Amino acid sequence: MRIRIFVGTGGVGKTSVAAASGLKAALAGRKCLVLTIDPALRLRTTLRLDPGGIDQRVDLASLSAQGELWAGLLDAGSTLNRAVRLYGEPRQAETVLRHPVYHSLVQSLAGMQELMAIERIDQALADGFEDLFIDTAPSRHALEFLDKPEFFAQLVSIPLLRLVGRTYKWFEGSMFSRLGRKSLELYTKVEELLGAKLVRQVLDFYSIFRTIAEGYADRARRTSSLLHDPKTTTFTIVSTAFKAARDGDYFLGELDRRKFHVETLVVNRLWPGVGGSFGADVPPQAAGLIAWYRSVSEAHAQAWERVSAAFSARIPKLICLSELARDIDGLSALAQIAGQLASLDPIRPE
Amino acid sequence: MGDVSLQSPLVILCGKGGVGKTTLSLALGLWHARAGRSVLVVTSHPLPELAVTISLSGLKERHPEAAAHLFIVHIDPREILGNKVKQQIPSEFLARTVLSSRLYQNLIEVAPGLKELAFLARLRQLAERKSPDAQSRAYDLLIWDAPATGHFLQTLKVSRNFDTYLSGPFAVLGRELTNFLSDPAQIKILPVTILEEMAVDETIELCSELNKELGMSPAALICNLASPLLAAQEEVDLGLFSGGQGEGSACAEWQFMVDRHVIEKQLYQRLRAEVAAVPCVVGRMPRWNSELELLDTLADSLGASLTDVL
Repeated sequence: MRIRIFVGTGGVGKTSVAAASGLKAALAGRKCLVLTIDPALRLRTTLRLDPGGIDQRVDLASLSAQGELWAGLLDAGSTLNRAVRLYGEPRQAETVLRHPVYHSLVQSLAGMQELMAIERIDQALADGFEDLFIDTAPSRHALEFLDKPEFFAQLVSIPLLRLVGRTYKWFEGSMFSRLGRKSLELYTKVEELLGAKLVRQVLDFYSIFRTIAEGYADRARRTSSLLHDPKTTTFTIVSTAFKAARDGDYFLGELDRRKFHVETLVVNRLWPGVGGSFGADVPPQAAGLIAWYRSVSEAHAQAWERVSAAFSARIPKLICLSELARDIDGLSALAQIAGQLASLDPIRPE
Repeated sequence: MGDVSLQSPLVILCGKGGVGKTTLSLALGLWHARAGRSVLVVTSHPLPELAVTISLSGLKERHPEAAAHLFIVHIDPREILGNKVKQQIPSEFLARTVLSSRLYQNLIEVAPGLKELAFLARLRQLAERKSPDAQSRAYDLLIWDAPATGHFLQTLKVSRNFDTYLSGPFAVLGRELTNFLSDPAQIKILPVTILEEMAVDETIELCSELNKELGMSPAALICNLASPLLAAQEEVDLGLFSGGQGEGSACAEWQFMVDRHVIEKQLYQRLRAEVAAVPCVVGRMPRWNSELELLDTLADSLGASLTDVL
C-alpha cells in the first residue's frame, strides 16, 4: 500500500497532478483512490465527484486500464456528520450535532477538512485500496492536516477534560474538587483570558464529543505512523516555474521538520518552447506576439534549470510538466499529463 | 489624503491561491509609497513573508522615498493571543507556564475561529490607529493581502459566527468587527483573478457570497496575467497566421497562443456578465531582471487604472 500526498500553494495544479498520478497508477494495474479537496468543475465532472457523495469509480474503458481509479471529495461537513453518527450513540450524536460549538466547528472548515482527511485515509485502507493520492489545501492549512491529529489526540488525553462531565452543573459541582491546585490555577487563568463561557462551551462540547474523539484519536495515531513511514508514504511538492525555488525551500523545510519524506518536486505548467526561427511569411503583428510567447517560455526554461540545479541534491525526483493549451477537461487531458509523468518516471518493481 | 478621517482606508486583495494577490498588494503599496503616502501591507500567511523579502530587496537604493513609506507586517494570530496572555499576567513565569501548557495550546488550536478573530481584531486596531504598540504610526492606507478565498470568507464570517453562536467577551468583539467590516466607505474589496476556468468560477462564487452573505460588493475586479492579445486595445485578427501560412515552428507557438486566447476571451466575457465591478486588466510580463523591476512595472499599470476606484 502506498500513500502519496501532494502539497503546494494555490493555483499550481496540485489536484490535476494528483489525479493524473492516480490515473497513471491505475493504468499500470493498481486499485487507486484520489482524494481531492476543491477540484475545478470540469475535473469534478470527469471524476464524477459530488459533495457528500461516496467514492466514485472513474470509467477507464476508453484507456483499457488494468487497474481501477476511484475518486472522492474530502468534504469536511459531511464526513464529520457521518463520523459523529457512526461513532456516537444516537442520543449523544444528536446532542453533538445540535451543540453551538459544533456549528462553529463545522463553519471553520479549513481545519476540519484536514482532520477529516485522516479519517478518510483510515476508511480507504479498510476498503482495500492499494494506492492513495491525496490532494491538500494550499500552504499552511496543508500542514495543519499533519499537525491536527496530534492536537486532537492530546486534547482528549488531557486529564482535565477526562473529568469534565456532560453538563455545566456536573462540571461546576464536581470537577473543581477533583483537580489539583496547580491545574486549577492554570485553568482559572486560561478561563479569565479567553472568557469563561467560551472555554466552558468548548470544554463542554469536547466532553460530549470525547468518545467520538477518542476513537478518532486512535485512528489518527495509526494513520500518523503510516504517514511517517517512508516505505508507505511520500510527499510531492507541486509548484510552478517562478515559485518553485521559494515553495520548494518552504515545504521541504516544513516537512523535514515533521520528519516526512519528500520524494518529488513537480514544476508544473511550463510553457513549451519550440525554438527555431520563423520565416518571412509571418505577419509582423503575429511575429510580435510569437516573440512575446517565446520570451515567456524561455524564462520558464531558465527557471526550471535553476530549480533543478538547486534541488537535485535535496529531492530524489525532479519533474517538469508542460502547460496544456487547453484547460484540464476530461480524461484525455488527464491522460496527457499521466503520459508525461510516465515517460519521466518509469514504474519501478516493488 | 486621510487627514480628517480617523480611520485608515483598507484595501483588501482577495481571490484564489496563486493568482498574484501578494505581488499585486506589494505593487499597489509601492505605487502609493512612491507618491509619498505611507502604506502598510498586511499579510497573514507565512509563505508570502519570504516572497516579500525577496521582492523588495534593493528598494532603498532604487526608491529611497518609497522605502521610507512602505511598511509590511506579517500577522500571526498565535502571537497576538500570546501577547494578550503576557499583558494580562504580570508574572512572566506564570505567563510562560500558561503559554506552554497543553491546555492553552490545544484550546487555541481547536477553539473554532479564535485565530481568525484575533487576526481581524488586530487589523481593526491598525485601521483605527489604536495599536497598543507605542511606535505604531498612522498609515494613509492599509492593504490586506488576504488568504485564499475559502479561508478569507471564513475569516470574514467568523466575526458574525461568534456573534451568533457564542456569548462572552468574544461575542462583543465579534459584533464590533462586524460593524467595522461593513463600512463600504472605508473598505474596498478588490478580487484578483486570472483568466482560467477554476479561478474565474471561484471569483464569481466569491463575489456572490460577499454580496449575499456579507452585504459587501467589490470596488473593482483585477484580471491578472492577461496575454497581450487581451491587454491590447484593438482586436487582433486571429486568422492572421492560419491555414497554409508555412510549416515553421512558429506555427506551434501561434496555435498555443490562439487556443489559450479563445478560452481567455470567453472567461473574460463571463466575468463581465456575472460580476458588476470595474474590470482592470494587468498583462503578464514576459520577463524581468529583478523582482523589484516587476513590481515597479505592475505598480505603473495597476496604480493608474485604479485611481478612480480608490
